[in-house]
Amino acid sequence: MTVLEVQNLRKSYGSVQAVKDISFAVEAGEIFTIIGPNGAGKTTTLEMIEGLVRPDGGSISYGGLSWDKDAEAIRKLIGVQPQAEAMFDLLTPQENLELFASFYEKPMSVIEILDMVNLTEHRHKKVKVLSGGQRQRLAIGLAMIGDPQVLFLDEPTSGLDPQARRHIWDIVLALKEMGKTTILTTHYMDEAEKLSDRVCIVDAGEIVTLDAPEALIGRLTKEREVRMTFVDGDIAAEEAESFAGAQSSILRTERIGKDLKLWTERPEEALHALFGFTRDRGWRIDQVSIREMSLEDVFISYTGKEWRD
Amino acid sequence: MSALKQFRSMFLTHVKMTLREKQVWFWGIFFPVILMVIFMLIFSGGSDDFKVKVAAVADASHEGTGMMLAQLKQIPVFEWIEEEPVTRAYAEELVKDKEIAAAIVLPSAAGDTSLSLILNKEDEQNSTSMAVIGLLNEYVQTANLMAAGAEPVFSLDVESISAGSDDLKYQDFLLTGMIALSIAQGGLFGMVDMVEMRRKGLIKRLRMTPARMGLFGLSDMLMRLLFAVFQIILLSLIGVYGFGATLHIDLISLLIIFLFGALAFNAIGYFFSSFSKTTEAYMGIANIASFLMMFLSGVFFPIETMPGWLQPVSKALPLTYFVSGLRDGMVYATGWLSGAFWFGVGVLVLWGAVTFLLGSLLYRNRSLTAR
Repeated sequence: MTVLEVQNLRKSYGSVQAVKDISFAVEAGEIFTIIGPNGAGKTTTLEMIEGLVRPDGGSISYGGLSWDKDAEAIRKLIGVQPQAEAMFDLLTPQENLELFASFYEKPMSVIEILDMVNLTEHRHKKVKVLSGGQRQRLAIGLAMIGDPQVLFLDEPTSGLDPQARRHIWDIVLALKEMGKTTILTTHYMDEAEKLSDRVCIVDAGEIVTLDAPEALIGRLTKEREVRMTFVDGDIAAEEAESFAGAQSSILRTERIGKDLKLWTERPEEALHALFGFTRDRGWRIDQVSIREMSLEDVFISYTGKEWRD
Repeated sequence: MSALKQFRSMFLTHVKMTLREKQVWFWGIFFPVILMVIFMLIFSGGSDDFKVKVAAVADASHEGTGMMLAQLKQIPVFEWIEEEPVTRAYAEELVKDKEIAAAIVLPSAAGDTSLSLILNKEDEQNSTSMAVIGLLNEYVQTANLMAAGAEPVFSLDVESISAGSDDLKYQDFLLTGMIALSIAQGGLFGMVDMVEMRRKGLIKRLRMTPARMGLFGLSDMLMRLLFAVFQIILLSLIGVYGFGATLHIDLISLLIIFLFGALAFNAIGYFFSSFSKTTEAYMGIANIASFLMMFLSGVFFPIETMPGWLQPVSKALPLTYFVSGLRDGMVYATGWLSGAFWFGVGVLVLWGAVTFLLGSLLYRNRSLTAR
């Protein structure tokens, strides 16, 4: 079932075309991630979908509801965790949740939410003394309080330490278990890869690709980078390099001292031949690795940009 | 039903935020109280009677000096530090040390009829010296008339009146001025949380929920009005019990002027908040506005005592009308039937409406261009 459908969305600010043409559909229960370099139009797209900015053209439909006619109904359906720390600093987490709960007809229980975002212990502290991770969790709790169908999490883990990030991942995955639909943006590729059902890469106001993360990675070139380190030193590595250079399965090689790198589209075959050669000579190999392609490579290959700029 | 639920929890939020904000306590309670106490202590410490310390100088005593001295002693304003005339040298010493405001030198010879006056050069132009000169002139003229055997034809009686009760004191004047000032400051400074809320994206955040923003504003306003009522009561209690101010309250006038005044100043604060990007910028603007009005609106002194060219400025400022309206409602016990009162209310409404509309316009433009 489609919960959100976006078609041909456009938005310009003066002469700057922030969003040129964006269309996608989000299915119920999935985690849909939008990534893109800074200034790609992610924020504008999200703000249009969240009803904060009116699009110049195109349509946004929440199962038939549109912002023009059904704004109030949509606001009851969605829960937003914005990038900014938008909460009342002088109130406690519990008071913040109680206030937001009063906006909805059938809110979730404040106690339950506090438990879910792991803030029960801190529920009576003022928000301004909470840590960054605790505040982010409260922001997600505030997005959850109205028991929304669709959740928007805008960079929920940026600026957090690895442990705090993992906490948030657990919450996001728990939301999926509950059957919620989540629209996520993130700066972290590993996060997008781990959490998302589908990833949408946006650049220069347009969608460059959209698919499951594994499928995106699978679509990249089959060329793999293999690294190995020789215990017996430079001479062993040098001889192995010249052997590798003669193999048809190995495309090219590179050597620095005892470290050898090679590129192949058939890593199994290449390694098999290479290991046969080294065993015959009695050389020992210290480390072998085949670098896996990640979403980051997908991103770079589509946008031509380094992820963090 | 759900509107009521929203309103209640929004109001509670505003109450908690207000009570937990140290700035509110300082600027809303501590500052006006301290300011009022200081001004009360400085300006209402002296007694109500105007007295001038003087001494008589007579180098040679004769019949004429005794008679003159006896006549001069009839003038109630003079307070004689020595019953008997002193020497000129001693009197000069006293004047130099400012022990006395003036020394009156009686004629030294029997046939001499001229009086002279020794004043401190530094005080030559001040009102006390002027008063002494005026009094002596009057005495001399009366004496001349008597010497010529003429009866005075004209006389002058001075009678002061006020629109309301007779016992108007500076304490009453200052107390009502301070109450108006603190309510005005509450409005001018109080919208700082709007700037902060916008900067943090809280307003945007609330707009993404089914929360009714109108109710949010309304509950905020109710909290502010209640806080202002608290300020009125607190300052009144200190003024009345601490400094003997007397209030004659006309509840209708007080309610009307309070409501319109508080709303007008909150609207002005709202306007400031609409174009301030940071809280620092907002506080700067609010401070300038507050200081300008504080001294030009008759809070501490009647605006009639200001230079003439400044008075039109005062007449354009909203605080002038708020202060005078509050005085009508709290001290003079007149007001809501008088034209001047309603003119003042009208000016406040105008200020409030114009700044509110401008503020709303700026907020709207901003949210349209916000990214």
